[in-house]
Amino acid sequence: MLEIKHIRKSFGRNEVLKDVSLNVKKGEVVVILGPSGSGKTTLLRCLNFLEKADSGEITIGNKNVVIQNAGRKDILDLRRKTGFVFQNYNLFANKTALENIMEGLVTARKVPKKDARNIAEETLKWVGLHDKADYYPSQLSGGQQQRVGIARAVALNPEVILFDEPTSALDPELVGEILELIKKVATKGITMIVVTHEMTFAQDVADKVIFMDGGVVVEEGAPKEIFYRPKEERTKQFLAKFIIPDNMYYI
Amino acid sequence: MGDLFSADRLVEEFPKLIPYLIENLKVLLWATVFGVILGLLITGVRMKKIPILYQITVVYISFMRGTPMLVQLLLIYYGLPAFIDPILGTNISREWPPILFAYTTFILNQGAFLSSIFYGAIKGVPSGQFEAGLSVGMTKLQTFRRIIAPMAVRIALPPFGSDFVGVFHNASLVYVIGVVDIMGRAKSIGSATGHVLEAYVIVALLFIIFSMGARALFGFVGNKLDYANIKVR
Amino acid sequence: MQIDVKAIFESFVSGLTYLPKTLILILVPLSIGLVVGTSIALVRIYKVPVLSQFFAVFIPVYQGVPIVVALMVYNLIYLMKTNDVLKFFGSSKTIADIDSIYVGLFALSLMMICSISEVMRGALLSINKGQYEASYSVGMTKPQTLRKIILPQVISIAIPALINTTVGLIKSTSIVYAIGIAEILSGALVPSSRKYTFFEGYLAAAIIYWILTILIELLYSYLEKRTSIFKTGKTENKKLWSLKCWRSNTSEKALAEMKS
Repeated sequence: MLEIKHIRKSFGRNEVLKDVSLNVKKGEVVVILGPSGSGKTTLLRCLNFLEKADSGEITIGNKNVVIQNAGRKDILDLRRKTGFVFQNYNLFANKTALENIMEGLVTARKVPKKDARNIAEETLKWVGLHDKADYYPSQLSGGQQQRVGIARAVALNPEVILFDEPTSALDPELVGEILELIKKVATKGITMIVVTHEMTFAQDVADKVIFMDGGVVVEEGAPKEIFYRPKEERTKQFLAKFIIPDNMYYI
Repeated sequence: MGDLFSADRLVEEFPKLIPYLIENLKVLLWATVFGVILGLLITGVRMKKIPILYQITVVYISFMRGTPMLVQLLLIYYGLPAFIDPILGTNISREWPPILFAYTTFILNQGAFLSSIFYGAIKGVPSGQFEAGLSVGMTKLQTFRRIIAPMAVRIALPPFGSDFVGVFHNASLVYVIGVVDIMGRAKSIGSATGHVLEAYVIVALLFIIFSMGARALFGFVGNKLDYANIKVR
Repeated sequence: MQIDVKAIFESFVSGLTYLPKTLILILVPLSIGLVVGTSIALVRIYKVPVLSQFFAVFIPVYQGVPIVVALMVYNLIYLMKTNDVLKFFGSSKTIADIDSIYVGLFALSLMMICSISEVMRGALLSINKGQYEASYSVGMTKPQTLRKIILPQVISIAIPALINTTVGLIKSTSIVYAIGIAEILSGALVPSSRKYTFFEGYLAAAIIYWILTILIELLYSYLEKRTSIFKTGKTENKKLWSLKCWRSNTSEKALAEMKS
């Protein structure tokens, strides 16, 4: 479904991604863990061409793009197969909640306005914000903004949704409800790649966990393997920093 | 204040001066309309970093911002004929009314100032907005038109407002090249009657009213456009 | 009409000899503006009764008057009334003994007081209330808070606008030429009126002003580096400002990220 091969990316002399390859099956939820600076966010941004990787190959669905030869059209096609949920929401500040969801449908997908409005209203209802349709982002709380952000990505019905630390800008008491919402997205069977620091969430939802450090994939596997029987020393060290209830580690 | 100032003369001269404010407003209008067009063109050159043209705009903007309006006005007044006449075979220093030189100067000046405002406003839109546009599958152009530009307008509005008032103030200088505007008229009343203070006070009052009115208007429009203040239906 | 390069050079040199006069016309109003303007800003921030209301009306009204109009009015009063005033105080001197540069200094100083007070007020308003509260919480007095915490931040925030105001002042000094004060512009025109090379004269004057403003802008980038210890980058102010513009959708954390 989604396959990336040999992605490399440097910022100046700093090599952030060193030959990363990854395979995601349809409907799979993949969680990427790793310390800050490990390249996980960059990897996500490269998938959506928000950052252009230096070399490698990306395949989403039936669309295959070799980075070096990627033209405008290829990039656009690939982007239209993906949705992106940002850490700081990035809702369009000049559009209401409803318009935020409609914008991509109408402008990029050429969905007729009336249909787009129906889809947007439905999705907004689905994330529990039907009463906030005409509010501007500045009038919404962080949690509400992220709900709209998720709705915006879901409404496009992309082949894969990329979540870039979707809860790390939120107040702690709001994290739970957003994670619940992301789980709800997962149950819809949408393929997802989630960069997060929420370990419990990773365990609950992920089909596959990927641990990245220093620009490479150190280890990947089912959550149970990664959390309970990590093979690599770096993975063990990283997980040890998070307070994991005793019984969990020794099961 | 003795014979320096008399309220009678103030009242008498008011209707004599008012019509000449039109000249200043004409300068303001031309400077704004064509200045915006020129400003947008220059902004395009700066955004696209078109070689050579880009370097020219850098020097041009620096010159326009770094030299006094008074000097620019006189520079165009004395310099433009030297450039245009040999090409067109004209004698514009005689054929053109002075106000055309004023329009030329103010448009050139505003092109530079407004391009700085526009460029700054576009750069002032948080980059996340652009990324969000791309992430929902819009092209760069679509994102610019539908997301970035409306926000840039909102950002540009306050500096545009101060610039607008500033241009109007600067328009009080056009009398130095012989435009009979409100200042020019005040001066001629002064030399005819020997009393000019009242005329200047009237000019000052008109400028105060206009400036404060324009500021209030821009403030009002800015508030209307503020997405945080828009009432929810 | 050919451009006479030699005439440009002559005018340039002649204009430069008047640089000290222009520097006086810049430095005096700037200093007065900084001191008085900042005081007025504080008066308005701390809502000193009567005075703050007075300035709240006076400053926007006065800023509605173009500098050239103000200058004409002051010059007129100066021409007509100086002798009377001198006589009133029993002085034997006449207007001939008083340099008209004072009229220019007065007009430019008043202009600078108004604009700097607005710049400083804006900067003061942008300081987070928490900065005051934090200072009081560690036992600092109001003046200490102002001197040690608030003003250093205010100055760093205000520098771009102050530089802009100064550039405006440099350009405005050319206007005193209209009331016959000798400065760069009139200096550059001395050779012109002899040889009828006005274009060259104005061009030379423009170049001098241009150099002056470029120097000021270089000073700005230097100061910007010096005072950026508690700011992180050149674009920060702009971004913060634009965020404030529509009280953006981003949280504190996102904002912090934007700065980095």
